[in-house]
Amino acid sequence: MVLELAKPRPIWQIMFSTHHTDVGLLYTLTSLTFFFLGGALALGIRAELFLPGSQIIADSMTFNRMFTVHGTTLIFLFLLPFASAVGNYFVPIMVRYKDMAYPKLNAVAFWMIPPAGALIWLGFADFTWYATPPYSAIRAPGPAADMWIFAQKILGVSSVLGAINFVVTILKCKHPDLPLSKVPLLAWSFLSASLIIIVAVPTFAAALVMLLTDRLGVSGFFDPSKGGDPIAYQHLFWFTFHPEVYVLVIPAIGMMYEIIPRFSRRPIFSQSSGIFAFVMLAIVGFSSWAHHMYSTGMSFTEKTVFMIGTLAAVPASAMHVFNFIATMWGARIRFATPMMWSVGGIALFFSAGAGGVANAAMPFDFITHDSYWVVGHFHLFVMGTIAFGSIGFLYYMFPYITGRMYNEAMGKIHFIMSMAGTVMVFFTQHVLGLYGMPRRVFDYIPLPEYIVMNQIASVGAMIIGISMGLWIFNMIYSSAKGKEANMDDPWNLGGKYYFPHQAKTPHH
Amino acid sequence: MSHETPIYRTSPARTAKMMAIMCGVCIAGGLLFFTFWDFWISMPPGSQMAKEAAHGPAPGVAVTGKEFDVELSFIESSDFKQLAFNALPGTEGNNPDIMANVGDKIEFVVTNNGKSFHAFGVTEAVEGFEGIISGTEIASANSPLKPGQSGKSSFVASKEGTFYYICTVPGHREMGMVGKIIVGPAGEAPKAAAPTGVSHNFDLNFVESSDFKQLAFNALPGTEGNNPEIKVKSGDTVTIKSSNTGISFHSFGIVSDADDPNSIVFNSAIGSMNNPIKPGETKEVTFTAGAPGSYHYICTVPGHAALGMKGNFIVE
Repeated sequence: MVLELAKPRPIWQIMFSTHHTDVGLLYTLTSLTFFFLGGALALGIRAELFLPGSQIIADSMTFNRMFTVHGTTLIFLFLLPFASAVGNYFVPIMVRYKDMAYPKLNAVAFWMIPPAGALIWLGFADFTWYATPPYSAIRAPGPAADMWIFAQKILGVSSVLGAINFVVTILKCKHPDLPLSKVPLLAWSFLSASLIIIVAVPTFAAALVMLLTDRLGVSGFFDPSKGGDPIAYQHLFWFTFHPEVYVLVIPAIGMMYEIIPRFSRRPIFSQSSGIFAFVMLAIVGFSSWAHHMYSTGMSFTEKTVFMIGTLAAVPASAMHVFNFIATMWGARIRFATPMMWSVGGIALFFSAGAGGVANAAMPFDFITHDSYWVVGHFHLFVMGTIAFGSIGFLYYMFPYITGRMYNEAMGKIHFIMSMAGTVMVFFTQHVLGLYGMPRRVFDYIPLPEYIVMNQIASVGAMIIGISMGLWIFNMIYSSAKGKEANMDDPWNLGGKYYFPHQAKTPHH
Repeated sequence: MSHETPIYRTSPARTAKMMAIMCGVCIAGGLLFFTFWDFWISMPPGSQMAKEAAHGPAPGVAVTGKEFDVELSFIESSDFKQLAFNALPGTEGNNPDIMANVGDKIEFVVTNNGKSFHAFGVTEAVEGFEGIISGTEIASANSPLKPGQSGKSSFVASKEGTFYYICTVPGHREMGMVGKIIVGPAGEAPKAAAPTGVSHNFDLNFVESSDFKQLAFNALPGTEGNNPEIKVKSGDTVTIKSSNTGISFHSFGIVSDADDPNSIVFNSAIGSMNNPIKPGETKEVTFTAGAPGSYHYICTVPGHAALGMKGNFIVE
């Protein structure tokens, strides 16, 4: 591990290092901590919904706080930092540079995350991760909401700084002998995602300032009683956060581009189509934000434009899936744990995308809007695709980080249980949505169909929870006592790819 | 395999140190978090729930001892776009007005006959779901009445004026779940004030829809000016001029009970069922408003009030 990359150093030296692998380690550990904290909230939410009525949570306000912090934590404190962790480890190695372009900026970007996480968790805001006005502007409870807004500001600055660092590292610091078209697809995914962040995030930053001044009572941008327009916030929010969805999913696909050729023991089927699809996704990601808002009374023309803009993401996504399939086709695949997570992730990516295409059709969207369908749909992306890709990649990095091998059998059980649980929870939620169950509810009407489907989902969530417990045990135990990995080829695949463990020795 | 530098692997001791740091951070954070538990389960100062808690018992009111029961039920239209008490808008018994005098105690028995969740309360606020008077609430938005459940509460009218009984689930009031409680002044039998010398003129014209299913004064239901509410002071001289612009026969009267065309008060009748105002005719009546209270002006032809020829006449 970076922990052990060079001569063993005291842990505080790693914590305050600016070397890219050390910062990568900090990102990894922080994001995993928040993954388990946010996951615990998810289990609480599912336990509450196991039966109608109040089970373990006293009132709806507490429930609102729980799913708000659950969503905020897992998106901003798990998925994004984990992608940064992978980028920190691999991007400099892949472009053959000694470190990130701006090492100190890199460390600053990381150290903004713990205080932001503390603000989110100590405030425990209750206005959902959208913070939609007028509620958030007028009535959301005091310091909690303001703490959440400041945390988002900090996280926004952090991701912009990280994105600038990646862009400069890839474009300006790559080895002169390495043409951009030969830069590995994992690094390309970080280039496209970083460009999206730089374009998209400022809009939300502006919306947050407007929201804050609304809350302070000095302005009324989103307060209808002062002539403001709550819908304007939604436009600003989704202009950032629909592209942000691609910021999350593109690095996860990049991770699969690293794992799938390696475990198929073949080069990627088409490097250029992968690059093209990443760039396409980064562009069309900006043409679909208002599909979150079909029911806010937009004109038919607007809705049609955004429907087509949404469907434009389909070919690019399908290119990735076909690229994966063509790479695996007829190859001598070794189904080690990272490969299982990637293939499972592709299957769920396809399912999530199919639901998304159906949902993009606006007549259907009016039925599914704000129902559990939406919850099932985006969780298939964030859990089924992005978290699956990320967890698989962590298994892939594990021997390089610790010098030891994880327990393969436990890794496979972890995958099988998570896959089954994810299907149980999120496929069921699609059906639940079609039966009309609204999202963000603390209690529901005791229809037999609702009860049965909620119970299937809750049992699935518990299965995921147990498998994640298995995972953390595997990680901790194997990093201490796992068998020593063969650092040149931990999975006996034959041949060599990159040599993450040979990253330059930290000098800082 | 030879390496230029030896490979160092994580040792149990180092894993333990990392775990200690991470768990330490989480435990410290958890301690901070639960120290602030009271803060983050507290309600914002502007919230409905905080106001409910802040309301003390109603200020001392001389209770008249008069009590009456009001049964209400929550109902919804099948498309869920219209909500109401007792009957859907446009049908008999929709959101009934409740008349009371200061000091009267109203016992509510409220049943949820819909498919959604509802809660009950009485407020003075003209809109919104805040300011629920303590003791009148049945369930709450956070812990509502489920379909089929019912509850009881009571309301003692503490002062004159108009109160509203509503569904306290946010948004339901705006969709129609609201009715009035009109509280007259204290005293068992309100007395008419001395003539004030003030006089009012009102025009109330009978109108009918072309299919004759909707009747009203001045304008058809749903249009501006339909069954206007009239307010006068006790002792005022009131002149009502009434034209029959329809094609049927009508007659006018101010009644104390809207369902009983015979309960005419103040000698306010224009015509009667047997001697009605014919189509195109205009007649008028002048009278002195008597004891304060809430009355109705109706078409005294039986059945017409139920079809919509009914408005509020309030004597203050």
